Amino acid sequence: MKRSAIERDLLATLDPMVRRGRLWIGGLLAVCAMACVAWTVQLVYGLRVTDMRNYVSWGMYMTNFVFFIGISHAGTLISAILRVTDAGWRRPITRMAEAITVIALVIGASMVMIDMGRPDRLLNLLIHGRFQSPILWDLVSVTTYLSGSFLYLYVAMIPDMPMLATHARERGRSPRLVRFYEMLSLGYRESPQHRRLLARALGAMAVIIIPVAISVHTVVSWVFGMTLRPGWHSTIFGPYFVIGAIFSGTAAIITAMFLFRRAYHLERYLRPEHFHKLAKILLALSLLYAYFALSEYLTTWYGGVATDWRLLELLAGTGPVGAAFWLWAVFGLFVPIGLLLFPSHRSMGSIVTASVLINIGMWVKRYLIIVPTLQTTFIPAEAAGINPHYFPSLVECMITAGAVAAFLLFFTLFSRLFPILSVWETVEDAEDAARVAVRAPGPTPAGKRVRAVPAVTVALLIVAGALVLAPWTAASAQTLSGVPAGAHAGAHAGAHAAAPAAVPTVPATSIAHIELERTSEDGQEMLVATVTVNGQPVAGATVAFSVARSFGIMALGEDQTLADGTAAVPYPEGLPGNARGDLDFSVTMLSPPALVTAPVQVTIGGAERPLAAPAEVPRALWSSRAPLAIVGTIAFLLLCVWATYGFVVVQLTAMYHLNGEG
Amino acid sequence: MERRDFLRTGFVAAGGVAVGAAGVSQGADASSAAAGQGVATLSLTADGGLVVSSVRAGGSAKPTSVEVRRGVPGRRWVMVIDLAACDGCGKCTDVCAKSHFIPGDREFIRLFNMQESTDTAPYWFPRPCFHCDNPPCTRVCPVGATFKRQDGIVLIDNERCIGCRFCMAACPYSARSFNWSPPADPAPAVARGYSPEWGYPRRVGTVEKCDFCADMAREGKLPHCVSGCAMTALWFGDENEDAVTNSKGDTVRLSKFLRDRAGFRYMEELGTKPRVYYLPAANRRSAAPGEPGANVSNSQRRREQR
Repeated sequence: MKRSAIERDLLATLDPMVRRGRLWIGGLLAVCAMACVAWTVQLVYGLRVTDMRNYVSWGMYMTNFVFFIGISHAGTLISAILRVTDAGWRRPITRMAEAITVIALVIGASMVMIDMGRPDRLLNLLIHGRFQSPILWDLVSVTTYLSGSFLYLYVAMIPDMPMLATHARERGRSPRLVRFYEMLSLGYRESPQHRRLLARALGAMAVIIIPVAISVHTVVSWVFGMTLRPGWHSTIFGPYFVIGAIFSGTAAIITAMFLFRRAYHLERYLRPEHFHKLAKILLALSLLYAYFALSEYLTTWYGGVATDWRLLELLAGTGPVGAAFWLWAVFGLFVPIGLLLFPSHRSMGSIVTASVLINIGMWVKRYLIIVPTLQTTFIPAEAAGINPHYFPSLVECMITAGAVAAFLLFFTLFSRLFPILSVWETVEDAEDAARVAVRAPGPTPAGKRVRAVPAVTVALLIVAGALVLAPWTAASAQTLSGVPAGAHAGAHAGAHAAAPAAVPTVPATSIAHIELERTSEDGQEMLVATVTVNGQPVAGATVAFSVARSFGIMALGEDQTLADGTAAVPYPEGLPGNARGDLDFSVTMLSPPALVTAPVQVTIGGAERPLAAPAEVPRALWSSRAPLAIVGTIAFLLLCVWATYGFVVVQLTAMYHLNGEG
Repeated sequence: MERRDFLRTGFVAAGGVAVGAAGVSQGADASSAAAGQGVATLSLTADGGLVVSSVRAGGSAKPTSVEVRRGVPGRRWVMVIDLAACDGCGKCTDVCAKSHFIPGDREFIRLFNMQESTDTAPYWFPRPCFHCDNPPCTRVCPVGATFKRQDGIVLIDNERCIGCRFCMAACPYSARSFNWSPPADPAPAVARGYSPEWGYPRRVGTVEKCDFCADMAREGKLPHCVSGCAMTALWFGDENEDAVTNSKGDTVRLSKFLRDRAGFRYMEELGTKPRVYYLPAANRRSAAPGEPGANVSNSQRRREQR
């Protein structure tokens, strides 16, 4: 195929819209506007307009978040992995895939904001952000992924820009649009230097975006996996979500290919072979996902933990959750596998049908991961007469419809502004094909690039391992010092035996005089009260001993005075005093009635002292200060990734300056 | 002398201890003078620090944000719930709801009608926030709006909360509630002004929960649920004093109480280290759920009223 023919075909997608296209855009805008109204209602009346309540506190919005983040993995798989492995057939697909990534990420991230009770306080994440929270991990990795995929999408579009500028000028489009394309082209020309810089930038991006993408969905899964909930607290959640994301992303790219092929008549470029190659990948992923789902459900079922079983009974039961679960299992997994399994029956129709089913199924699956677990609590809500139900409200459905519409709208607009198939790569594809007809291809520059992959990947894996391990070691060393003070009974015995007793003023009406001291009798610590009247000991009087605590008086016992006027009870061994080790004792005369008087209070030192709380808050998972291991790991990972982005930007700058020299 | 007066003297004396402890930890000289005057004559004005700031005379002075985040120095608040004494009357929930102006869709201390298996006896299970020492909720908070204090209490700052509800998902005990609608707090709640120690006036889109009545503890008073429990099933105290007190003023040694009555913490295996202990429902003092003459649970009662 001639270069000019390819350009003509692919740039035709940018022609002014026909009536059908305008209707499509108008329809999407209407749905988005409806969603905006719904969101306004939600902002005014609060999240009460959803069906989320205190038990099921996450619902459709979180489902959408996980779903769109999952879809965003289309770009990574198709584009980056195929680019790194230099699979030639990827070329007409990459641009579409990369655009899906960027758009789905934007929509997914906005779903979290819609789910927030206080979107007005979004900046608190930057002001007060805690790096122990998986939400911060999410924020950081999604931001990094979004920036990276934006850069990646752009770098791969640069060679098309000069052509787009020319095309726009020839078609008499607005000069502003021409300038826009020219600016984005960075002065790119078909020269060996430009090619080299572009290849270097693209190679670096394709490598770095893979671990970043994996981290994003791993971290999304950890929002659930790091809690102690049945069905969430699972060690396979990271890979389970990553596979699920690539699975749904691949299905999304096939669906998008089908739609663009129809809408823009791209049958010559998006050929059945592309669908069939992707179908093989999709089949592998669907089997892999079935395997992960089986591992997850079988182990929890076989283990038989009561709360896990309550969840499984809900999932496999006869209620609406059970119905959704079985519909997903049949139509979201087994039917697509059946449609894709036999090469002889694998038609374009069956591939696209399977993809659409998988997309819907994966949304349902995310819903089934989130909602039933929230309905299954350790202390069953039913035991308080509460039925933790959830069914998406109208507002939630409208906002969800708006999210889907916005996704389609952005995608359509993107395809109106830039050719949805990469022109330069399609040309390259055609040229390669022509060359193959002549002779076998030599080693491509891509082969050299790949060598950098293992080193970077291994480094990232090590760091990721450290990230996982660090919190536990840090946390185990630092728990708030709880002082079971009473446990150290007798440690101080004898240190302050017979501490001097302070005798308070006795009311004038009273004639009894009480002295209290702590003594050691036959090796036992005793509290001894001596009762005298006018200096004479009183025998046979009943004396009650007690000690003051914050919220009440703790009785220590009663005793009758002997002939020498003394009554005694055992000293409360190990009872902590105040910060100076003082205990405030009270002695009360209970009989004879003539001597009954106000309690006499005496402070005796030498008791246990409670351990002082640490001067500063410890670094721990639960505290306000993050363990250094977490902060260090995140900082290091970010540095690796952003340094690579920086490297790419340096290549682009060099490209821009080349132009000046030329 | 009346027992009540006797108790009050005790409160003042204990308040003095608190002042002394606060002073020492703050390095203030005034504290030693205050303590030197003897426990019986202590007044709450002796030390300019924490106690004075929380006195509720007419309009209450708010603790500063630093005090709110740190907690009462030297204290480790703890609760004991005697399942054998609980009769499921729901008074704790009601008193709590009244004092915290709680809307009808939530309960800070919720009463569950528990039964481990069909062959074992059912029992009442009041569940406040456990104020865990290893709290899963404060771990996951992205902005530190919910936090753990040195006196053991876990609080929420509704002026910082972004409403992501991650803490609600993370709490294994479902102790947290959300302000789904704009609040309709009564005038007294609005008049008092906000502090995380009492949690009102509320703000839409933020999380709230049982606060262990942090403001009451600061003043040396029992939480509302504890003082309101006629069955003396709820006990509250300071672990650093090794004592807990019930609504009748009975004060016992915490360590001995837990040892003698085989105290336990709910779902110890989760590793959250709750600050709420339970005493098993052995030899119950009143009818268990479902038995003749038993109470019905709060939510059940509310549903029947509707």
